[in-house]
Amino acid sequence: MSTTVADVGEDWLLDPALAPNAHDPLLAPLYAGAARGELVLPSCGACGLALELEQRACDRCDSTDVVWAAVVPAGAVHSATTVHRRERGLVVATEPYPVVDVELDSGHRLVMTTLAPQRSAPAIGRAVRIGFRSVGGVAVPAAELSAAELSPVPPSDTEVTP
Amino acid sequence: MTAPATRAGAAPGAPVGIVGLGMTAMSLEPGGAPADLAAQAVTAALADAGLAKRDVDGLLVNTSQGVRPDRLSVALARQIGLGDLRLLEHLEIKGATTVAMVARAVLAIRAGMAETVVCVFADAPLQPGGTAGSTYAHSGGSDGVRGLERASGVLGSVPTYALMASRYLHVTGGTPEDLCAVAVSTRAWAVGNPDAVVRTPLDAEGYRASRMVATPLRVLDCARPVNGAAAVVVSGRPGQSGQPPVHVLGMGFDHPVRRRRAGGESWFGGGRRAADDALTMAGRRREDVDVRELYDPFSVVTLCLLEEYGFCAPGTAGAVARSGALGPGGDLPTNTGGGQLSGFYLQGMTPLVEAVTQLRGAGGDRQVPGVTTAFVGGIGGRIDHHAALVLDREAA
Ligand SMILES: [Zn+2]
Repeated sequence: MSTTVADVGEDWLLDPALAPNAHDPLLAPLYAGAARGELVLPSCGACGLALELEQRACDRCDSTDVVWAAVVPAGAVHSATTVHRRERGLVVATEPYPVVDVELDSGHRLVMTTLAPQRSAPAIGRAVRIGFRSVGGVAVPAAELSAAELSPVPPSDTEVTP
Repeated sequence: MTAPATRAGAAPGAPVGIVGLGMTAMSLEPGGAPADLAAQAVTAALADAGLAKRDVDGLLVNTSQGVRPDRLSVALARQIGLGDLRLLEHLEIKGATTVAMVARAVLAIRAGMAETVVCVFADAPLQPGGTAGSTYAHSGGSDGVRGLERASGVLGSVPTYALMASRYLHVTGGTPEDLCAVAVSTRAWAVGNPDAVVRTPLDAEGYRASRMVATPLRVLDCARPVNGAAAVVVSGRPGQSGQPPVHVLGMGFDHPVRRRRAGGESWFGGGRRAADDALTMAGRRREDVDVRELYDPFSVVTLCLLEEYGFCAPGTAGAVARSGALGPGGDLPTNTGGGQLSGFYLQGMTPLVEAVTQLRGAGGDRQVPGVTTAFVGGIGGRIDHHAALVLDREAA
């Protein structure tokens, strides 16, 4: 059975060459979950504390039991930038694109771009849902912003002109 | 009867100092392998100290984590023709490494484990066929957190620092004018530094006209990568060239753990202990510091570090910058050679080189009058690692 182009998907932002290694031992559970449409992140198996992606022991209870499990795919913008520099051959978008650092309701923080093209980054504090893009056939988390939630020109993207 | 072997290290009570300083030209063009550049810098530093290679019994090596496979290693000792050494190490604390090398050298000399130690950094990110930005954008791989972030459009280091800058301005209530003020004052210093790679005067209008890279960071908020190297000679004995001694009076480190977790800040609120420890060891107060030389890969980092190290109250560095205090003639001279923004990006060597230059009174057009005490701050990672030095023209 061959994978169709439609299955692989064509990301709005990046060239397939930037596909992450879905079999990377550290993040394989995240990519496997994303392929199912679930946001899978690590927490402490003993006390439930949200852990950083590279964390191997809990900083609250010292447990080394790290459990990767689906979390609620929602959060708020911790910080955001609109990236104007588009590296030829890597970025296929023709307009500046957002990168968002999201504080998830689960307690995790995760950097992602948006699910669909956005000319500017969302404001800090704005609520987001988490969906998934496909980069070279690998699903990765992406922030979903409803049109109603977007202000036309967020302050963070104001071009300063005298 | 034979005399006991001479003990290495400093004479008891004598301060350890930086007795030699050497640099290559800072090139904006591709060319030069890191080992060749390092060899040039070491030769220049020894000549500056009036010493020969046979006088050296220690070598510490710092190389970029960046984009080249032919990075420096402890093999450099053989490559540049040094003889038998007591101390030979490749240190790695990311951008904090240069300061860590000096501290390592001082401790080894004080402990009698070496007498004269060369510390060198070399890097050559500029390669034929691409800009430095392009080279950085293509590096990082597809594994780990870096691979995930690259698949999210985080190419090179600017987007990450742009997230930090956005958050900094949000937390402090600042505006892009705060960043502009840093870029302008740092450039004003570079105008007086013949080693700086960008020396054309800059005003706010010129800053605002510069290309946006990732909001709020414009190209003039970002360091200028160069191909080059710098080396210092650290010794418990005076140099032989008549250069004024620069004593290492204080050293401090801080590696704060700030979790990336909802409900808190992960970039701000660390590093103070590095500054406190260095100043305490030196017996100096913040108000004794005449020049602050801080690792500034992006304008926002200068503001962060002035606050983290206690030179500005939290949230006020932007206003201080807008007052002109950081620039020539200001009350808080900072990054007096043009820093990494306008001077040259040789990681931790950039602030160290300028501190030594100012303490020697060799700053020419950008010399701050009457400098006796300099503070050097090096950071690594995403402001995760802090290393500080207090350097002084006088003995303690
Ligand atoms: Zn736990």
